Amino acid sequence: MRCLPALLLAGCVAGPQILSPQQDGVELAATPFFPQERYQCGPAALATVLGASGVSVQPETLVPKVYLPERQGSLQVEMIAATRGYERVPYVLPESLDALLAELRAGRPVLVMQNLGWEFYPRWHYAVVIGYRPAADKLILRSGTTERLLMDTEDFLDDWDKAGRWAMVTLVPGDLPAAEARREYLRAVAGLEAAGKVDTAARGYRAAADRWPDEPGPWLGLGNTRHARGDLDGAVAAFRRALKIDPGLVVARNNLAQALAERGCKTAAERQIERALDEAPPDLAPAVRRTRDEIAAMPGGACSG
Amino acid sequence: MHSDKTSRLRSPLALMAVFAYLFSFMAMPAAQAGMIGTGAALDAEARAERVAEVQRLLSQDRVEAQMVELGVDPAAAKQRVAGLTDAELNTLEQELKNLPAGGDALAVIGVVFLVLLVLEVVGAIDLFNRL
Repeated sequence: MRCLPALLLAGCVAGPQILSPQQDGVELAATPFFPQERYQCGPAALATVLGASGVSVQPETLVPKVYLPERQGSLQVEMIAATRGYERVPYVLPESLDALLAELRAGRPVLVMQNLGWEFYPRWHYAVVIGYRPAADKLILRSGTTERLLMDTEDFLDDWDKAGRWAMVTLVPGDLPAAEARREYLRAVAGLEAAGKVDTAARGYRAAADRWPDEPGPWLGLGNTRHARGDLDGAVAAFRRALKIDPGLVVARNNLAQALAERGCKTAAERQIERALDEAPPDLAPAVRRTRDEIAAMPGGACSG
Repeated sequence: MHSDKTSRLRSPLALMAVFAYLFSFMAMPAAQAGMIGTGAALDAEARAERVAEVQRLLSQDRVEAQMVELGVDPAAAKQRVAGLTDAELNTLEQELKNLPAGGDALAVIGVVFLVLLVLEVVGAIDLFNRL
């Protein structure tokens, strides 16, 4: 109840300018539009960003993938999974307006989650931010049945805050996020790897390795995707590269040991896995022990590699 | 009041996160034996950072002083942080971050006591024998 007076007031009092007025505006006018009233716009919003990233799909096609009737809405996890299904990288942005604006400047519309209700009685809504007008301090959205909704930045932030500032773009594999968000990006690509989208993940890791040469994660990922494709030599080289950047990366050492053992280099594999076990934090130790047991049971001895 | 609002906001999102976690396993193909996914490495990295953060929060002078007062070795307490579950780590981080900036000695005692209770759960500190 005590929210009501605050809500009424918000309409009357002009807040401070949020977008810095001297910068240029952006409007990604070519972004597709799928007017939709039902389903809280989840499938329509996802079809919009997928369309902008070159995947032609109708919202109706997405309904079974991203709409749980009993929940009356789309869960973010389903959007992420559906995006993977279309070989796009579901990159969830850091929770900042700057990261969102940076994506728009890079030419990518941003799928956002909003809470149009209250924190204690949420009404979820999905829309797509396609631009902003700094002088007017407004964002431009494709939202529901409105093709071009102009929204005060302050009002948008209010709804967005109540939805945990969730925002996502669907990256073409090989494209990188506009903001310096290597962890968020690697997490998105790791999700593709886990879902078995090995080739798409490999392209994502490759791009990340080029952009962040001091980051071991992309090399670990490249090793994993090469291994999944049966390229043992390539996997070994990638894991070694990751360990050269960060010798304490236990997962890379574990995987290097496994790949060496599969190549028949049991002696070298055992040396690596013992070191990995020494260095493993408690949450990784059980997996590393399993690898050690696995290697112990494998045939082979020393090898040329 | 602020934290009250935050918890109301977080609960549906937390639920979704739980679903995300469960779905991520359902979607996974049979993991190749011996290999650990990149996601697990990122999780481990994030966790290591949180452990370090909690250890840093435990290193505040007044927190350490209070531990000594209760007969607990601060170094031993910090060592135990790495063995906590994620939920326990969460509790410690929240509690330690809510420590009042001023010199409210009673609040510090309360927080440190709770911290030691959480650590007691993993059997590190025989607090009750010392009291």
